[in-house]
Amino acid sequence: PSLPAGWSAEKDFKAVGTVSAPTQRNLEPVGPHFLAHARRKRHHRTFSEDERI
Amino acid sequence: MSSETNGTAERFAIGISFGNSSSSIARLNAEGKAEVIANEEGDRQIPSVLSYIDGEEYHGTQAKAQLIRNSKNTVAYFRDYLGKDFKSIDATPCHNSAHPQQSDSTVAFSINDTTDETPNTVTVSEITTRHLRRLKQSASDFLGKQVNAAVITVPTDFKDAQREALIASANAAGLEVLQLIHEPVAAVLAYDARPEAVVTDKLVVVADLGGTRSDAAVVACRGGMYTTLATAHDYELGGATLDKIVVDHFAKEFMKKHKTDPRENARGLAKLKLEGEATRKALSLGTNATLSIESLADGIDYGSTVNRTRYELLSGKVFAQFTGLIDQVVKKADLDVLDIDEVIFSGGTSHTPKIAQLARNIFPEKTNILAPSTFIGAINPSELAPRGAAIQASLIQEFEKEDIEQSIHPMVTATPHLQNAIGVEFTSGETVDFKSLLTAETALPARRLAQFPAPKEGGDVFIRVCEGVREIKVTKPEPKPKEEKPAKTEDDEDDSDFDSDEDEEEEETREIVWKTEKPIAELAVKGVKAGSKVELMVHVNADLGLQITAKEVGGQSAVRGVVEAPKA
Repeated sequence: PSLPAGWSAEKDFKAVGTVSAPTQRNLEPVGPHFLAHARRKRHHRTFSEDERI
Repeated sequence: MSSETNGTAERFAIGISFGNSSSSIARLNAEGKAEVIANEEGDRQIPSVLSYIDGEEYHGTQAKAQLIRNSKNTVAYFRDYLGKDFKSIDATPCHNSAHPQQSDSTVAFSINDTTDETPNTVTVSEITTRHLRRLKQSASDFLGKQVNAAVITVPTDFKDAQREALIASANAAGLEVLQLIHEPVAAVLAYDARPEAVVTDKLVVVADLGGTRSDAAVVACRGGMYTTLATAHDYELGGATLDKIVVDHFAKEFMKKHKTDPRENARGLAKLKLEGEATRKALSLGTNATLSIESLADGIDYGSTVNRTRYELLSGKVFAQFTGLIDQVVKKADLDVLDIDEVIFSGGTSHTPKIAQLARNIFPEKTNILAPSTFIGAINPSELAPRGAAIQASLIQEFEKEDIEQSIHPMVTATPHLQNAIGVEFTSGETVDFKSLLTAETALPARRLAQFPAPKEGGDVFIRVCEGVREIKVTKPEPKPKEEKPAKTEDDEDDSDFDSDEDEEEEETREIVWKTEKPIAELAVKGVKAGSKVELMVHVNADLGLQITAKEVGGQSAVRGVVEAPKA
């Protein structure tokens, strides 16, 4: 969509809300993507840090 | 590897699916594809049966054949007794084999498993160990290497005591249990590990139709990670229910000719059950099947045929129970059939063509029904669980035990999941459209990247990131005016048959519509060239903070922003 007239924000970004509360669920500890997730979580890495290794 | 385990540390792991009716073993082959291993008799679905004659142990199909002549010393359908209290078990499936008995706090069988005259009391744990030892041996013989570890599939409702008992039994059989994984998730993994499969966000229903029980589960796949949203179980429904229909059909036919009921004689019933099952399985492949039994009752041989149409007619009610279970699990997950992207049919009874066809009618056309009769690329439903287990085994067999334990620890698996979808709102004139980027039930942290076309004329682009909720819009077509019929009331619904085609005309159309609930952030990308695309990346942290980046595809400068996590 096009920029509405009169819209402006610092550095062109404006936070206007927050995400609804999450539901706590259990992941199934299966599959390559989970193992990658577990690795990140245990070493407190972010996605991009993990990719570099 | 740790220094204490000098040399013997090397693991050789397989995947095992351990069922009440049958078990399978699988391993990744040289090309990295999961392959189910046949035992020395050539069976890939190995009956979970053990039988003893003169101290000799029979296993699998050979043991199953002993149900006729040696039923007292034959143990079958024991998986669900493992780790359970005697009072809590249902002994019905064991009616025609060795009966379960109470032994201290556990379940046991009294069988002549040695050459001695007196029977021994063998616990269900010991039976499981013997069964797993045979499976391990078959796999070792086939692979030419000593198998010493395994990933075993279990139902989703397996209690901790059952898990512990299974691990203890496996250890006693010389198998290190790397992990116990859930049967439905193994089935999803078996499909997702195919080279042609693409990782997508999807909702999958797994219908695991077994021999003596059936289970259904709704699994959310988000970025290749799985979360079980709901499960449903039926402990009385399965292939055995269908076998009974076949058995009753032939028994009645036999009675008409010979005036005796073969079901009243234990051996006659055992023969009918064994052959009836084979006939039922044949009807999944062909449209006609024969049954022939020597000396069924009173020394009379019996032979007959049945066609699939007849069988499907007799089994209509039972088929409806299977689809009812699928319906039930979708409702339990607070979902609609429209939300489901895939239905995976797993378990031996899923070979039945009619069940998949009935499921086809429940779900919308876009839903993929993965069963042999509805999908050409379908994997053999009997092989899904063992294949999934084999894939998982290959992924973790190099890990150290501590690593596996830490990874599957609840600290890691308990993860916040998005309640609502996060996406982008498109406004064009009056209509507001929502494209979801991260779907609901996505495990956090997560990130998604998407490209959206910029307006044709180019210029400045405005992006509004919102939360979205899916709703089901029911549109009723305009009722056709009919003078001769007054407005129908609810009581009229069952009154006449010729109403039915009129009902069809009035059938409502149901579709998913997205509603934007709550704006999260607004961004502007300025000076976008005409006809180009805007790339948007949304990263959601575990604490619900957001990082959003937007830029023109191929462009240099990006707009970045951070949305703070909500305060608790």
